[in-house]
Amino acid sequence: MKEFSGKGLSKYSGKDGMPAYIAYRGVVYNVTNSFLWKNGKHQVLHEAGRDLTAELDDAPHGPDLLERVPTIGALKD
Amino acid sequence: MAKVAREVVERAGVNVDQLVELLVKNAAAELTTFYYYTILRVNLIGLEGEGVKEIAETARIEDRNHFEALVPRIYELGGELPANMKEFHDISACPPAPLPKNPNNVKDILKVLVEAERCAVRGYSQICSMTAGKDHRTYDLALAILNEEIEHESWFSEFLGEGPSGHFLRRGETSPFVGKFMK
Repeated sequence: MKEFSGKGLSKYSGKDGMPAYIAYRGVVYNVTNSFLWKNGKHQVLHEAGRDLTAELDDAPHGPDLLERVPTIGALKD
Repeated sequence: MAKVAREVVERAGVNVDQLVELLVKNAAAELTTFYYYTILRVNLIGLEGEGVKEIAETARIEDRNHFEALVPRIYELGGELPANMKEFHDISACPPAPLPKNPNNVKDILKVLVEAERCAVRGYSQICSMTAGKDHRTYDLALAILNEEIEHESWFSEFLGEGPSGHFLRRGETSPFVGKFMK
């Protein structure tokens, strides 16, 4: 499984043709093909290329929705 | 634009540009849902399908009502709708709700319907959280829509065997919560 640093993850913002990856509790997910993550943005407020653990805890949905997108690696501390 | 109405929302601490963008995306979700539900409703046929058709139609009409009710608030806050319908579809806050591959499978259609409603419930919950105690008018509107979306979800969920909805179908007029914004 590929490992990402925070800086490495930030490259995958979903912008300028880059894939869109997000992290949650140490797992990196590929949301590039998700309708809800177009251009690396989700519901106006959330951006790809970041660890969204804290933001997801405040979201109107649980982490179970992440099961719908593929995992691509792990986020290093 | 309602200049003072926007100012008071900004002064209350709401990022109005973000809020407007969310309202536009949810308006897009409502109108595109109206379109997709038209196709789903048409295909709800046969002994099983006809029993679901009425609630699909009610949800379809109420989702269109939600679009109609959202548009004035978007413009009051200084926003606007995209000029291009395709762009409007593609910025929707919820994914498309297309007819399943096997249109004769009523359960598959119900899964599409309930998934669309669940997306809407999440979306309006978010808007309510953003505006509670800060933007009373948008909060009131989002809460009214949320009430109807929750009922839609519970209807379809009931047909999927997930448990009783706890209430009856509409009797008479549609949009008992959102209707006040459409007068």
